[in-house]
Amino acid sequence: MNRDYARYALRRVLQAIVVILLAYVFTFVVISVLPGDPVTNTLRNPQNGFTEEEIARIVSYYGLDRPVYEQLWDSLSRLLVGDLGISLRSGLPVGRLIGDVLGSTLLLAGSALVVALVLAFAIGFGTRYLPKRYGQGLLRAFPSLFLSVPNFVIGLVLINVFAFQLGLFRVIDSEGGLATFFAAIALGIPVSAQVAEVLIANLDHEAGQEYASVARSRGLGQTGLFLRHLLKPSALPVVTVVALTVGELLGGAVITEQIFGRTGIGSLVERSVTTQDLPVLQAVVTLAAVIFVVVNLVADLAYPLLDPRVRLGGAKPRDKAEVAR
Amino acid sequence: MAPQDRLTLDRVTAPADDALLRVEGLSVSYGDNQVVTDVSFGLRRGGSLALIGESGSGKSTIARAVLRLLPEGTGRARGLVEFDGQDVLSLSERRFRSLRGRRIGFVPQDPSTSLNPVRTVGSQAREAAALLDEPGGHRELVLETFAQVGLDDPRRVYDSYPHQLSGGMLQRVLIGLTVLPRPALIVADEPTSALDVTIQKRILDLLSDLRRDLDISLLLITHDLAIAAERADTLVVLKDGVVQESGGTASVFSSPSSEYARKLHADVPALNPDRYRHLRERPAGGTGERPKIEVGGVTKSFTVDGRALVAVDDVSFTVEAGTTHALVGESGSGKTTTIRLLLGLEEPDRGTITVAGEEVTGRSHAELRSIRRHLQLVYQNPFTSLDPTWTVKRLVGESLDRFRVGTRRERADRVREALDSVGLGENLLSRKPGALSGGQRQRVALARSLVLRPDVIVLDEPTSALDVSVQAGIVEVLLSLQAELGLTYVFVSHDLALVRQLAHTVSVMHRGRIVESGAVATVFDDPRRPYTRALVDSIPVGAGTVSGGVS
Repeated sequence: MNRDYARYALRRVLQAIVVILLAYVFTFVVISVLPGDPVTNTLRNPQNGFTEEEIARIVSYYGLDRPVYEQLWDSLSRLLVGDLGISLRSGLPVGRLIGDVLGSTLLLAGSALVVALVLAFAIGFGTRYLPKRYGQGLLRAFPSLFLSVPNFVIGLVLINVFAFQLGLFRVIDSEGGLATFFAAIALGIPVSAQVAEVLIANLDHEAGQEYASVARSRGLGQTGLFLRHLLKPSALPVVTVVALTVGELLGGAVITEQIFGRTGIGSLVERSVTTQDLPVLQAVVTLAAVIFVVVNLVADLAYPLLDPRVRLGGAKPRDKAEVAR
Repeated sequence: MAPQDRLTLDRVTAPADDALLRVEGLSVSYGDNQVVTDVSFGLRRGGSLALIGESGSGKSTIARAVLRLLPEGTGRARGLVEFDGQDVLSLSERRFRSLRGRRIGFVPQDPSTSLNPVRTVGSQAREAAALLDEPGGHRELVLETFAQVGLDDPRRVYDSYPHQLSGGMLQRVLIGLTVLPRPALIVADEPTSALDVTIQKRILDLLSDLRRDLDISLLLITHDLAIAAERADTLVVLKDGVVQESGGTASVFSSPSSEYARKLHADVPALNPDRYRHLRERPAGGTGERPKIEVGGVTKSFTVDGRALVAVDDVSFTVEAGTTHALVGESGSGKTTTIRLLLGLEEPDRGTITVAGEEVTGRSHAELRSIRRHLQLVYQNPFTSLDPTWTVKRLVGESLDRFRVGTRRERADRVREALDSVGLGENLLSRKPGALSGGQRQRVALARSLVLRPDVIVLDEPTSALDVSVQAGIVEVLLSLQAELGLTYVFVSHDLALVRQLAHTVSVMHRGRIVESGAVATVFDDPRRPYTRALVDSIPVGAGTVSGGVS
């Protein structure tokens, strides 16, 4: 198992690195085949006030006077030493621009994930153990409802009720704890829907398994059955689902940050798109790819450790000897 | 087995009242569908009672009603189920929970699905130990119990996950968990039908021993009349949810009064080894010809976890035309690999296989196709081997279409002919497998292989998914087809009683080797190898307790 696992882990890590590199190259190529030359256009925009010398310095820094493949090679080599380039709009290093806002976005996305998980597991437990007549049918409708309401609508409703009417937080100073909490709810609700869907389906499946009946025949009550028997097998696939929702959390964060007036990756992206600040966009896309790939890598690596049934290397189950006599 | 004093010493002495479980006028319905109607029986303290019936007879439903494990919302039980003087059906969930495990234990049918797959066996066993309301020492208690149910290495079992143990070991674990809290009653729902024959016998022996030592009553649910007669002192025969006959084992088993019980008795292969003798008579003058199938010194190994595993080791046998050769053995004995080699689905490492004079080994794909016209396979499970979206007509005609045999009309005629020969009417042609019973499906599968008019049919446990009476019908069809068309069968089975009924010659396989072979009567009546004897001895014949009696 251990050697198989090491081999599996190594293969997955190498795959992840290849995916990240490909994402970088793909973005680079897309940007460089865009019609027009946004870099030079931006630099030569009189409003930006670059002098000819500065323009020449930046152009040669990016090697824009050289063939595309050489530029790509340079850009990749700089990426490997952590140099993400310089913003065209502000002239600041892209690494610093992102570093300044990354924390806020990660806080938002992380809180949203917690909100999503709490909601999903509460719904999951409720669908099994609320009295049939009252809660179950309604609760089962929640995920579809959550998925079908866009998160900006949820955000606007939350702001209207909790900020404007109840005054619990202020939209102007949006970095406070409560403001983050409500932003996380707006972002977490659609994500919780996906997790809850999978969880409910798994709980239903596991509850119908023979071992659940057998465990009940041993005298386990409803809560004991849920906690000791149903929760773990049902929650295992959730690991994979959560990893896949990272894209949603990052994408949703862009919109949520706009609605709640937060500075973060979202506002940076929005500004960079409108001003065609290509180095920043290139870096953000790469960053998103890295986060997505790393989270899924962690999920893939964790899964075999969590689920004893997963066997690596496609080998047949170990010899089962009938030792009894 | 180590003596388990703590489990035997402090038994609560039973009250004078004799009836432990009393079921009166029990009816169960799933939604609007009533599956059990007005069933009554009683089980005295220390006694054993078997509910016998085929699938759909409602026997498992009765067990679940007694255990209150009917599916919530849909399953509804009416009538009286009285356990130890308490009305089980009207107890609150909380009150009934205190009976679960502690007073009423449950041994399920399929051990491989009856333990939580993502938790260790030990952690689940502690749940059963916790029912004893004794603080601490649960681990020791569990290990003790594992030793008591005959598990060799209790510590390893304790730390294992269910998928790391064999079916027999898991069933021992489950039986251990059931007896650990010392219940008064065990409900065992087909406790051995998912296990190999030799293990079946050991598990049933274990249950009998524990029952005797710990003074536990048994409600046994089974489809096997012979097992029921061996293990229970009262029998209740069910059909379509209605009691057909009930009474002492001796009277129900030896002189059944109801039509259905008589038929059930006649359909159990173990009780009627010579039922088909007239159909099985070897065609005269078969000798002298070259055998239809010759398998010579075939070896096949696979690589598992980096180690070579010899699945089939120097296996040789021959089958005369128009006869049936049986391959018997437990799971993992190499039966399945042998027939895969025979069908050309695997290449042997060494050895030769000849069918009707043609070499199977070393053939290209296209050449194998022509051989397969003469060599057909019927799979084990008709519930999974037929495409559920195809009609019977298309299923049966598929190979004719593939080999482009004759005109459309001729093909349609041959499909009808094949269906007719397995006893199915034209009215089924446009049905899909979902609308057929298990027996009908297996007949369709058989028609599917007959339609090309092969000489050899390989039957891979063709009736193991079917009830005995349905099985009897299929066996009859197989034997009359053989008599009529001179077919040669290779019959793979773990059911020795069935082999005895329909095969002419037999090879007993054990760990990839043939340990004994010859004419069925010789091998079965006078087994020379201990392994064969163990297999033959494990056939339940129902005679044991009729004379002996357990009380």
